Amino acid sequence: MKIVGVTACTTGIAHTYMAQEAIEKECQKRGYEVIIETQGGMGIENELNEEEIASADAVILAISIGIEGDERFDEKREEGKVLTLDPSVVIKNVSNVIDQLENL
Amino acid sequence: MSFNGKKVGEDLKKAFSTGVSYMMPSVIVGGIFLAIALSSGTPTDEGMVVTNPFLQNLNTIGVAGFAMMIPILAGYIAYSIAGKPGLIPGMILGHIANTPLGDEGVSTGFLGAMIVGIMAGYLARYVKTWKVGPTIRTIMPILIIPIITTFIVGMVYIYILAQPLSGFVTSLVHFLSSLQGGNALLLGLVIGAFTAIDMGGPINKTVTAFTLALMAEGIFEPNGAHRIAVAIPPLGLAISTFISRRKYTKAERGMGVSAGFMGLIGITEGAIPFAVNDLKRVIPAIMIGSAVGGGIGMLQNVGTYIPHGGLIVIGAVDGKLWFFLAMLIGSLVTALILHFTKPDLQEADPPSKTK
Repeated sequence: MKIVGVTACTTGIAHTYMAQEAIEKECQKRGYEVIIETQGGMGIENELNEEEIASADAVILAISIGIEGDERFDEKREEGKVLTLDPSVVIKNVSNVIDQLENL
Repeated sequence: MSFNGKKVGEDLKKAFSTGVSYMMPSVIVGGIFLAIALSSGTPTDEGMVVTNPFLQNLNTIGVAGFAMMIPILAGYIAYSIAGKPGLIPGMILGHIANTPLGDEGVSTGFLGAMIVGIMAGYLARYVKTWKVGPTIRTIMPILIIPIITTFIVGMVYIYILAQPLSGFVTSLVHFLSSLQGGNALLLGLVIGAFTAIDMGGPINKTVTAFTLALMAEGIFEPNGAHRIAVAIPPLGLAISTFISRRKYTKAERGMGVSAGFMGLIGITEGAIPFAVNDLKRVIPAIMIGSAVGGGIGMLQNVGTYIPHGGLIVIGAVDGKLWFFLAMLIGSLVTALILHFTKPDLQEADPPSKTK
């Protein structure tokens, strides 16, 4: 399984990166391929390209603000493969969130 | 398009967070330079007067930072709702909200900016959906959308909203800046408790937005209370891991050091790992600790000029001694409560055997 996603929180210094780390760790534990883009205080880092998004089985948007390049995920959204939630939810209960992604 | 209340609520929440997110550096720049300039000023009846020419120039930078924050807020609220076409109309309208209008000098600052930002966002998003011919289509984002949006929202704001909103803002500001004694203490307690309750989550950010709004009106004490309270949960837990070593696992004691560091640099999230393990004891302890810190800060009129917390911002604080003491006392209260409520661990890892 391949998961891609974006994390972004209000201040862009803590939750953004904590959520990224949580998702990456959990996916590695389960042996999934994972790429997470962060849109924190430093702007976009680890940016996802079209190909990476197109080849993903599920997309997770752990965001509490409007993100840049949201339209990149429109196609996946129509397929019902996008899960959007608050970064704090991901940090608190990441395994549950990844379970939800599996069942999309 | 059918109306979906929940969706609109989520859109608005996201829009406010986006606005605050982009505004933050502007407030920091404004706050730091104002604080440096004002700390050298001479207190007079009209507030601090800065006389040194170099510091007056720093003051100019600070004032510019504060002047930009309101337009940026409104612009990015609209941007979050409508995308790029909303950005500049939002900024222009935010600037109008922050500019004194007419003979009476009606201005509505933060609150007005939030409202015009939302209106600009939704109007721009609606105009975007218009079906127009190919010739018009190319000039939609640079001509049609900005002009229609700024004109309509601008007129509605100036002729309908500005007056009543301004009355509300003025009385709120007057009320909050005249708070003293018991009322000030109460406000500090509430700010402190809600700052700690979700450790950097949405409730905490709501308090931040509230104190930022008051900063825009020149009231810095609620921000002071909030910035004291921000540091207390991780600091209190760090102290707790030192004085109550039997109540924490080896791993938790290790985290205590990093929590202490995060407390000093004002990152409440440092308390999260502890709270996750023991929600019902940790949350009340940090809420009470932060409330005490916030209460002391308000009571002693501690003002903080920048929207960031922890001991590192003490240079930009008015009332440095009480800023420090309030933070220390609040952290000790948290640590003490935990000392009495947390049970000793029954584990094969007694503190005496660890280095």
